[in-house]
Amino acid sequence: MINLGVPYSQIILAAEQTLYMVFISLAIGTATAIILSVSLMLTNPGGILKNHIVYTVINTGVNIIRSVPFIILMVFILPLTKILVGTRVGTTAALVPLVIFIAPYLTRLFENSILEVNKGIIEAAQAMGASYFEIVWHFILPEARGSLILSVTTGTIGLIGATAMAGAIGAGGVGDLALTYGYERLNFPLMFFTVIVLIVFVQIIQSIGNYFSAKARGY
Amino acid sequence: MIKFVDISKIFTVKKQRIDALKHVSLEIRTGNIFGVIGFSGAGKSTLLRMVNALETPTNGHVEIDGKNINKLSFSELRKVRKDIGMIFQQFNLLNSKTVYENIAIPLILNHIDKNEIDRRISRLLKFVELSDKRNAYPAQLSGGQKQRVGIARALATDPSILLCDEATSALDPETTESILHLLRKVNQEFNITILIVTHEINVIQRICDQVAVMERGCIVETGSVLEVFSNPRQQMTRRFIRTVIPDKIPAIIQNKLKNDPRYYRIIKIRFLGNNAQNNILYHVNKNYSAETNILFASVNELQKTVLGIFIVQIIGDDLEIKKITDYISSHQIQWQEVRL
Repeated sequence: MINLGVPYSQIILAAEQTLYMVFISLAIGTATAIILSVSLMLTNPGGILKNHIVYTVINTGVNIIRSVPFIILMVFILPLTKILVGTRVGTTAALVPLVIFIAPYLTRLFENSILEVNKGIIEAAQAMGASYFEIVWHFILPEARGSLILSVTTGTIGLIGATAMAGAIGAGGVGDLALTYGYERLNFPLMFFTVIVLIVFVQIIQSIGNYFSAKARGY
Repeated sequence: MIKFVDISKIFTVKKQRIDALKHVSLEIRTGNIFGVIGFSGAGKSTLLRMVNALETPTNGHVEIDGKNINKLSFSELRKVRKDIGMIFQQFNLLNSKTVYENIAIPLILNHIDKNEIDRRISRLLKFVELSDKRNAYPAQLSGGQKQRVGIARALATDPSILLCDEATSALDPETTESILHLLRKVNQEFNITILIVTHEINVIQRICDQVAVMERGCIVETGSVLEVFSNPRQQMTRRFIRTVIPDKIPAIIQNKLKNDPRYYRIIKIRFLGNNAQNNILYHVNKNYSAETNILFASVNELQKTVLGIFIVQIIGDDLEIKKITDYISSHQIQWQEVRL
C-alpha cells in the first residue's frame, strides 16, 4: 500500500462524513423540492390550481437562493445554522446550508421533469374525477419518475461538490481532506487518491441513477 | 340524457377574444351514439369537454339526467366525472405503467379492493381483446392497441357516458374500423351513451345514430344520421358527406354533356330504404317518350338501410320532362334539378 501521509481511519472517517452530509441533505432537500416543484407546477399560469401569489413567492425565493454561490451562502446563514443546530461548525452544522443550497436546485430540476409530463395525462386524470392530490400522486409523479431520478442524480453529484466547500466551516469529508492535507501540505498522492475516490463516487451514483431511471420509464 | 342549454364559451388568448361556442343547444338521448363533426377549430372538442366540465361555459349550462353540472361543488363534480369515461386522440396512457396498471388507476381512485380490481381488469382486457398484453407497457403497443387500453380504462368504473375526443384520428383506416366496431359493442352491450367528436365523416357514417354539424362555434345542422346524410341542408354538411357518399357527375361525363346539342334537363333522385322503388326508371321509360340516361349512380349502406343516388339526364321537351318529374314526385321520391 502507498503511504498517503494520513491514517486510513482518517480517510474512512472523511468518506463517512461526506456520505452523511450528502445523504441527509439529499433526503431533506428532495422532500422539500418535491413539495415546492409540485406547488410550482400546480400554481403556474397554465396550471390546474393557478395561483399568482403562491407561484411568485416560491419562484422568486428559489431564484434568490440559487443566485448565491454556496460558499457565500454558507457563511451568510451562519446565524440561522446556530439557531437550528446550536453550533456553527462541524458536519451537522454543514447540513443546514447544504439543504438550503440543494432544495432550490432540485426544485428547478424537478420542475422541469414535472413540466415534461404530457398535459393530456393530467386531463385524463381530471376526467376520471381525481382530486388534486390524486392527480399528483397517481399520475404526475409516476409519469415523471424516470426524469426525477435523473434529476436527483444530478443533484447528488452537485452536493458532493458542495460538501468539499463545507470544509470551510469544519465539516470534514473527502473534499476537506484533499484541501487541508493534500493541497496545504502538498501531499500529492493523497490529493490524487481523493480525486480518484470522488470520480468513483460520481460514476457509481450516475450509473445507479441511469439504471433506476430507465426502469422507472417502463422500457 | 345530456342537455346543452344555450352554451357560449369565450376564450381570451393574448388579449384576443375567441368565441369558441355561440349559443349551442343540443340534446343527447340516453343510449344513443351521437357524433359531432366539424373542421378543427369549429368548437367541437370544447363542446365535448363541457360534458365532464373540463371546460366550463361562459354562459348557459350542461345538464346530465336533469342535473345542472355547472352548479356542483368540486367534490360533487368529481362524483359525476367518475360516471363519465373519456378517450383521447393521443390516448393519454401513463407510459410508466403497464396496461394492467393503467386500467387499474380509475379503480384505485374509487378505492375498490385488489381482488375486485383484478377480476374487473381481466374481464375488460377480454372485452377489448388484449388479454395477452396485460403486462406490456404502452410503448410496446400499436396505436389501435393503445386506444383499446384507453377504452378499457374508460370503462373500468362502469360509466353511463363515454366521451370520445377524436379517438380514431391518429389511427389508420383499418384500425379505425376495429375501434369503431368496439365502440359499437360498448354501446350495445353496456347501453352506454357515446358522444363522439371527429372530423372524419366515415366515423359518423359507420356508427352514429345522431349527428350534429359544427362550424365556427355553432351547430349548423343536426338530426338522425339517416336524415342528414340523405338530405343535407347546409353547404358545410354536403362537403363532408360528399367525401363518403359521392353525388357528383364525373368530370368526363360533364364535358360530354356540354357538347350535347339536344334539349335536356338533369335531375338527381334519392332513394332511401325501400329498394323496390328503384324500378321507378323502368316505369318512366315505359310510360313516357322522353329519353333517360343515367349519368351517375351510387348505393350506400347507412344505418342498416340503403341510400341510393341517381343522376339522370332526361332528353325531351319541357312538357315531357315535367310529366316525368311529376310522376317521380307522386311516388314520394326526392329529386332536385342539377345544373352543370
